[in-house]
Amino acid sequence: MVSKTGKPLRAPVRAMSPRVSSGTLHYWFRTKASDPTSLLALGLLVLFLYLIAGPIFLLLSDALRVHFPEQGRTGLPQGAFTSYYLERAMFSPISQAVFWRPLANTAQIAVGAIVVSLVVGAPLGWLLSRTNLPGKRWYSTALIVPYMLPSWTFALAWTTLFSNRTTGGTPSWMESFGFSPPDWLAYGQFPITMILALHYTPFVILLFGNALRQFDAQLEDAARIMGAGRLTIARKIVLPLMLPSLVSACTLIFAKALGDFGVAYILGVPINYNVLATSLFRAISTSQAGMTAVLAGTIVLFGVLSILIDMRLLREAGRFQTIGSKGAMDRTTDLGKWGVAASGWAMFVFIVSAAIPLMALALTTVMIRPGVFTPDNFTLAYWIGSDLGTTALRQGILLTPEFWRATWNSLWIVGSASLGAGFLGLLVGIAVVRAPMRSAGMMLRQITFLPYLVPGIAFAAAYLSMFAVPRGPLPALYGTYMILILAILADQMPFASRAGISAMMQLGKDPEEAARIVGAGWWKRLTAIVIPIQKGALVAGVMLPFISGIKGLSLVVVLAVPGTDLLTTYAIRLVDNGYTQASNAVVLMICLIAFFGTIGVQRLTKSKLSDGLGGK
Amino acid sequence: MPSIRLLHIEKSYSRSAPKAVEDLNLEIEDGDFLCLLGPSGCGKTTTLRMLAGLEDPTAGDIQIGDRMIVSVSGGICVPAEKRGLGLVFQSYALWPHMTVRENVEFGLKLHNMPRDERHAVADEVMSKLAIVQYADRYPNQLSGGQQQRVALARMLALKPDIILLDEPLSNLDAKLRLEMRAELKRIHREFGATIVFVTHDQWEAMTLASKIAVMSAGELQQLGTPDDIYQRPANRFVAEFVGSLPINVIALSGAEKATPLQAWMASVLVELGSPVNVECVGFRPEALKLSHCDAAASSQDLPDRLGTIIDILPTGGNWIIELSVDGEQIFAITGSAPDFASGDTIRLGLQARDLHLFDADGTRINDVQPVLTQV
Repeated sequence: MVSKTGKPLRAPVRAMSPRVSSGTLHYWFRTKASDPTSLLALGLLVLFLYLIAGPIFLLLSDALRVHFPEQGRTGLPQGAFTSYYLERAMFSPISQAVFWRPLANTAQIAVGAIVVSLVVGAPLGWLLSRTNLPGKRWYSTALIVPYMLPSWTFALAWTTLFSNRTTGGTPSWMESFGFSPPDWLAYGQFPITMILALHYTPFVILLFGNALRQFDAQLEDAARIMGAGRLTIARKIVLPLMLPSLVSACTLIFAKALGDFGVAYILGVPINYNVLATSLFRAISTSQAGMTAVLAGTIVLFGVLSILIDMRLLREAGRFQTIGSKGAMDRTTDLGKWGVAASGWAMFVFIVSAAIPLMALALTTVMIRPGVFTPDNFTLAYWIGSDLGTTALRQGILLTPEFWRATWNSLWIVGSASLGAGFLGLLVGIAVVRAPMRSAGMMLRQITFLPYLVPGIAFAAAYLSMFAVPRGPLPALYGTYMILILAILADQMPFASRAGISAMMQLGKDPEEAARIVGAGWWKRLTAIVIPIQKGALVAGVMLPFISGIKGLSLVVVLAVPGTDLLTTYAIRLVDNGYTQASNAVVLMICLIAFFGTIGVQRLTKSKLSDGLGGK
Repeated sequence: MPSIRLLHIEKSYSRSAPKAVEDLNLEIEDGDFLCLLGPSGCGKTTTLRMLAGLEDPTAGDIQIGDRMIVSVSGGICVPAEKRGLGLVFQSYALWPHMTVRENVEFGLKLHNMPRDERHAVADEVMSKLAIVQYADRYPNQLSGGQQQRVALARMLALKPDIILLDEPLSNLDAKLRLEMRAELKRIHREFGATIVFVTHDQWEAMTLASKIAVMSAGELQQLGTPDDIYQRPANRFVAEFVGSLPINVIALSGAEKATPLQAWMASVLVELGSPVNVECVGFRPEALKLSHCDAAASSQDLPDRLGTIIDILPTGGNWIIELSVDGEQIFAITGSAPDFASGDTIRLGLQARDLHLFDADGTRINDVQPVLTQV
């Protein structure tokens, strides 16, 4: 073929080119390596290696390195390899107190919480998804309320109601009613288990309910036509297919209970009942870097194990899902005369798990002596009074500058961290979904997922070991706002990057390519096409980390100092001072922000809380 | 106006997978309305995207006019945003966060056209495509046909010399397809652009294109006018791919004992002077002449054969006739209502010019036979 102008069709090969491949190499560079998306992916990779992988790696390696105070005892120089801390945690005279008993307590609490929340949650999940339960719509929000609020809120409510004279401080309602609760009811394993169970029951309701809702009723029909009875169908068809969702709920609860710090801190520590998280907190606050690393590593190990089990099960569940079609799923069981009883049961769960705790917290803040219902006992002094006769706080909480400073800190610190997480999440989404370098995208996806495996308190420990001394471009950060912002941001990256990745997966390449065709460069496509289209996802990607950051305690309790108090750490400081009314007031404020924030996001994104659950 | 040349273009997505496009050479002349036709996965869309710059070839050159836009060995790759081509996506790819006007003006804005001028150009294009009344709506407030007009307007506003279309009619219903077909032909005339489009739908290809490039498994099978493609398919693949009712193809070897159809074709080939190397014979359903078995055969015709009508399927305007020749199934189609009924025995006739002969590789060999070249 020869073109009309008579030129040879083939481009004249440059005679001087020394190697045949140099042009091809140049071409590869032009088309792949110079793509800004690849550079973005590499940049993000470096950033998150520094902010996520680095701290976690340092923390774990702390367990095997000699630290300054132990140079004498180990006879080794600082930084040398040692198994001293592992041996000390597991086989020394103190190992019972710092490691084995907390481990056993943690396991018992986790298992207990799982059993209780399954027993309470599974029937409710069925009632909400497959029956004509009266008031179903209302319940499907009301029963999720405990999950929207921080778990330790309920621990505070519990102490408000049940604490006894063992620990002193403001008397509880029970004491005011003239009944002194026994220690097992007031503190330790029983209340911690119950509170975690009630807090995580919504997990079971949502996961099990969703699975039931997606269950194809045709599968039941097929069995019925073959002559199977109701019980046989439930046992042989429904339950086996529901098992993955149930086990998935269990592993999630296990992982969460493992890292939960606040509840055990409020209800366990006063009577010296420790779980791994509180034992870890003690190690951190007494500056035992090696012990901190061993305990944090143990929590991470169990966290990873449970997540791995969960992922495996979800994969198996996925295998089942492909078989069933979305047939007639809306079939509901008529509860008949049992409807009222079932509704009563649901109402009972709501009252116990949400209404009573919140009422107790709220009422306490307007009572001089908690639980005493006489007119002269009610006061607004704890909110707006002045010249109160206490040493901790001399005026109502709304007149206390520290409260407003903590509120402001919470808003701007968590706000900037969530803004950062939301934007970085979208950028991670772009890099993972669009970068021509697949491997960089894969690594990015995994690194940003890492904090999910590390409970907040262990992640905080990791941040201490990374940023308590100057590393890289940053100076020593302990005690600064910066360490809080970075830690909250990094801790929220699993959710933010997941949101970003799924948003970018749903956005086809077409809009960007169309912009390319009309002449838009990479930056223009990002700012004029991708970000405006992803506005909704971005808002959700900022709001969800914001809410979870506002109510989060275990991460910041390690990193915040009195000068950088957030609402949550301020509330805990008030608890430590035994100032019940004020701490309850602060907690109520947090609950309000968390609750309305969650409802607002659901409205805004037209999503359900359940969509964000269960490792989807 | 430039012509487009693709030279030894190759695209592979990974080392292990078969190449999406293999050694493709194609010259598209100035003013062509060229269709890349083929089944899904044949590499046609990849080819279009390589032209647009959305996909990078792994070997070969692409030249537009005198400008080399891709040369793998020469280290040249002009990015899509600098090629100045027009492309309409199959999904239309309208930007959901911009109004129709903003969509149309976006490219002009990028070229720093002043506001007033931009408005004027957009108004002109939108009124040409009869969407000016929707200028302030968002894409999700428009019907599919209107969305496609917006996509066309957005592309035309930049007045590209070369227009690329990805499955331009596939998302439209029957009535809109006709309308849009006329619209595209008008655009081709009025704008005088070279248009390349991709489709798997032969109706779309036949009715729109001035030339069709049939592709299969990453390779170009035939480049020619729609008539060429239909009446002189270059190989067995093209013959079988084109045609709304599949062509009847009878392989001559294979069975130990000749089947009735094989025997018939063998006698036909003897009549044609026994051309060598013929591996299979094809004839389109409409080439089969059906007559009552008592009617006399015309003397010019090739040997005929008796068959039985199994079923008659009216398709509205055409009648598909399922036939059995001693148990072997073939199809015929007529444009007028047949005066036969199921079970009738009828005479099947063929004419030499309607036969397509292929060799063992599936390549057309009619042209070696003088008697068959007079079409």
